[in-house]
Amino acid sequence: MIDNLYKTFIDATRNVFNLMLHLSEISDHPGEDFKSDEGVDIAVSIVGDLEGEVIYRFPVSTSLNMVKIMSGMEFEAVDDFVTSAISEIANIISGNVLTELSASDLKCDRLPPVQRKPGEDPNKDKEYELKTSCHINTSIGEIGLEIRLNRI
Amino acid sequence: MLWKDEYELGVPLIDAQHKELFKRVESFLQALRSATSWDEKIPEINKTLDFMKRYVVEHFHDEEEYQKSINYPGYKCHKQIHDDMVNYVLDVSKQYEKCNTNEPLMQQFGGRLLAWLINHVAAEDQLIAAYAKKKGVSGNDR
Ligand SMILES: [Fe+2]
Repeated sequence: MIDNLYKTFIDATRNVFNLMLHLSEISDHPGEDFKSDEGVDIAVSIVGDLEGEVIYRFPVSTSLNMVKIMSGMEFEAVDDFVTSAISEIANIISGNVLTELSASDLKCDRLPPVQRKPGEDPNKDKEYELKTSCHINTSIGEIGLEIRLNRI
Repeated sequence: MLWKDEYELGVPLIDAQHKELFKRVESFLQALRSATSWDEKIPEINKTLDFMKRYVVEHFHDEEEYQKSINYPGYKCHKQIHDDMVNYVLDVSKQYEKCNTNEPLMQQFGGRLLAWLINHVAAEDQLIAAYAKKKGVSGNDR
């Protein structure tokens, strides 16, 4: 189950990055030690047959590069615009994952993405049955992904 | 340019509307991100926001009519996505009307709109074209 979830998230990320950002070279490796700087941490809560949250960690340079590709404009700092665009991407990836899971009869919903300050992690010490994290590498920078879910 | 030819569906009316939408969003973003003061940006922001409120509704309606005309099986789901976006646009503009000095609100709106629109046209709307093509009713031939 956890392997399947991991793969579903990676595939969804790959598809969205491919379609929206034209990035095709994407690799991943498991690992908990993702170093998040002053970038954007986005938490998407999941409810339904699976409950918990997924956290996407976008470092500053990855975030700025992503928004630059989408808009064709230059961005110097992670501001309200950048944070909101990145949150929407996390929302889109999560939505695609849930659509995929519904095909294997797991009915889940997601709550609107919430921005967390780097280091702020209220659920860090909670127990989760399905827990995994990884680093995703792209030509415009790394992304950290943390999956924390319980079967209901 | 924000628009990319690969977004074309092969349905002339819808493609023309998508191009117009991208053009307007692009000028909205340019106004929003320009180096001038917020006060100076307000007239252009108001103009594009007003246009988009009307145009988004009109375009979504036309696109939904097209989906119905080809019996697109994802119609209901797609309409829900459109309705959610219209509600978001209306909600933001209501908040903005109350206080047009609310720059953070508009910056957030711009960021989400950009990502939403690209994904919607590059992914969701392409499913309509793929279906039309499969059925041989229309759509692009790439
Ligand atoms: Fe659409």
